Amino acid sequence: MSESRRPRKPHVGLPEWLGWFVLLGAVTWGMTTIRPRLNEAHVTLAYLLIVQGGSARGGRPLGLALAAVAFVCFDLFFLPPFGTLTLQDPLNWLVLVAFLATSVLSAQLLYRAHGEAAIARERAAEIDKLAALGAETLNVGRAEEALTAIVSVIRSSLRVDECDVFLIDSGTRIARALRDSPELQPDRRLVDWVATEGRSAIEDLDGRLHADASADLLIQSNAGLQHARAFARPLRVRDRTVGVLRIGSARGLELTPAQIRVLDALSYYAALGIERVRLAGEAQRAITLQEAHKAKDAVLASVSHDLRTPLTTIKGLAHEIAQSGDDRAAVIEEEADRLNVFVAQMLDLSRIAAGTAVPDIQPNEAEDLLGAAAQQVSGRLGGRELRIEVSNEEPLLFGRFDFAQTLRAVVNLIDNAAKYSPANEPIDLAARRDGPWLVFSVADRGAGVPMPERERIFEPFYRRSGSPDVGGTGLGLSIALGIAVAQGGRLDLDDRAGGGSVFSLRVPGIATADLQRPTELPAGERESSSL
Amino acid sequence: MDGDVVLVVDDEPQIRRVVRNALTAENARVVEAATARDAIDLAAAQRPALIILDLGLPDSPGIDVCREIRTWSSAPIIVLSARHSDQEKVALLDAGADDYITKPFSPGELQARVRAQLRRSRLAPAASANQVITIGALVIDPVKPSLKKSDAPVHLTKTEWELLRTLLRHSGRTLTHQQLFRSVWGNSAGDMQSYLRVHIRSLRRKIEADPVRPTLIVTEPGVGYRFEHEP
Repeated sequence: MSESRRPRKPHVGLPEWLGWFVLLGAVTWGMTTIRPRLNEAHVTLAYLLIVQGGSARGGRPLGLALAAVAFVCFDLFFLPPFGTLTLQDPLNWLVLVAFLATSVLSAQLLYRAHGEAAIARERAAEIDKLAALGAETLNVGRAEEALTAIVSVIRSSLRVDECDVFLIDSGTRIARALRDSPELQPDRRLVDWVATEGRSAIEDLDGRLHADASADLLIQSNAGLQHARAFARPLRVRDRTVGVLRIGSARGLELTPAQIRVLDALSYYAALGIERVRLAGEAQRAITLQEAHKAKDAVLASVSHDLRTPLTTIKGLAHEIAQSGDDRAAVIEEEADRLNVFVAQMLDLSRIAAGTAVPDIQPNEAEDLLGAAAQQVSGRLGGRELRIEVSNEEPLLFGRFDFAQTLRAVVNLIDNAAKYSPANEPIDLAARRDGPWLVFSVADRGAGVPMPERERIFEPFYRRSGSPDVGGTGLGLSIALGIAVAQGGRLDLDDRAGGGSVFSLRVPGIATADLQRPTELPAGERESSSL
Repeated sequence: MDGDVVLVVDDEPQIRRVVRNALTAENARVVEAATARDAIDLAAAQRPALIILDLGLPDSPGIDVCREIRTWSSAPIIVLSARHSDQEKVALLDAGADDYITKPFSPGELQARVRAQLRRSRLAPAASANQVITIGALVIDPVKPSLKKSDAPVHLTKTEWELLRTLLRHSGRTLTHQQLFRSVWGNSAGDMQSYLRVHIRSLRRKIEADPVRPTLIVTEPGVGYRFEHEP
């Protein structure tokens, strides 16, 4: 049995030792009075009882001391010639040695049983403590209080002077410390190194830092920790370092294996505690963000609504003035329209970003959408040709999408194509099936979009480099992308064969087999029902 | 709209002014109300030929005014709305509004809508549904029934006839998907949205000059369809 597993010594004082020797003397005296009637077996049994009793009560030293004294008494008083240590019959040596061996062995066995029982008790206590701490950690209302509780439990169960937990925010920066040793300012180099490297480090009593791979081993094996002023180890959750635990003691750290085990378990609790603090913070931020989004949405909706009344007046009066011959009024009317479009698009984008633009997804037909799109843009394409290609054959092109929102996306794509391609080149609008998708495509003969800009053109307010000032809000493509994604679709940009760009808006298609054809009305004239 | 009385209901004097100017330019006689209460009183007293109703009235939701007037008057109601959702537009049409126009609108757009509504309301409903209608190369006889496109007969199924008659009967008015479906299929159950779209598409292919750019059966995105033609 290694020394380190020695159970705690029973605290037996001098009086108890004296008592056992007095008992031994008394039994010896008693037995001498009836010596002629006793043989060796009686004496052996009596002495063994005393030695074992002493071992059980007073531990191994008392047991061994009693055995030694009993051995001498046996020889002196019960083995002839009496009063001397010599033996008449050499066979009696066997009796004596057997007695001594049995005594020592029983003392040893009792000692071991005692030790194992003590370890078992200690383990049970550890488990109880961890279970209680676990329950406490989960129960504490605020995440930070749980972490504070863990820190103080670590300090008290390890009996160290300092125990600090440092929280790492995203990256390796120490965000803040939860400290249970307010009077001391720990060496931050140690903590920073551990946070960055994700490995343990030790600080010696003479101030030297051991920051290498061996530190983990040293802490784990407990070797050489008595010369350590402090050590710091990373706290991990799923291979990610979330914090640093620093343990320090001015006297040097001396931890038992049991304490190291407790430390391991508590470190894990501390790591979970940090994770909980982080998640609680994130949840709070998400709520705040959501509220901010809602507030922004409400402001935009209100501004948009309130702008419409004065814009109507401006447009109306400008229209009247324009009719009386002042063409500057027509410009006022156009600008009022632009302002209106801008506010409406800001509101659209805000709703998409906040997730409040919930699409009303219905089975819809592609040709219907293309026709509506052509109608909406007809006023602003000037003389430019918009070609529509739709396959004439059955099955019908059906998809699941929000008609009004998808129309807005397609119209934005047509407007975008009109802005970035020569005015004499037609724009091609088409719908087709592609596997599970229904694809609306808008193709132009513009300069195309260079690779580095492919992602960026979908960002709000992004304007293509080197492009002429084409007006517009710079929001159309972001809105189109947001609409596609909100409906479980996609928006892709590809080069067009022969020059230009193709924007493909994908929405979930409906297979022809899934599309129930309505039954025809029964023969015979049906009375028109009223509306 | 010579001499027609048009009731304009809006709490904003500036909007009333724009609407009044646009309508008097077309020789309509305009009466104005700023509250829902006045609107209902004036509608009862003046028997206007058409009502232009703003939804943001201070004393009562516009949709309630719309419903109340509709209980005793068949005068067309055109709703003025700041941005409203498609569902709200559908609710308005279901409540008896005939058309809506979104702010900011241009006076020309308003005049066109008013003219269309007045024309439609002047025609006896039965006549509009039973007349032989000629639109370009298209001759529709809803009674016989027969349809000719450039003198060639075109066959319509029973459902398509029913759909076309419904649209003709309410020519110029936006019908919601629900209204169209009820009118054609009654209360039968089924996938309303796809039934309607399948038949709208086939009808367009038979009557439109270019079915991909329909000019007769016009889509009101997210709301319904409207039959548009100037007799």
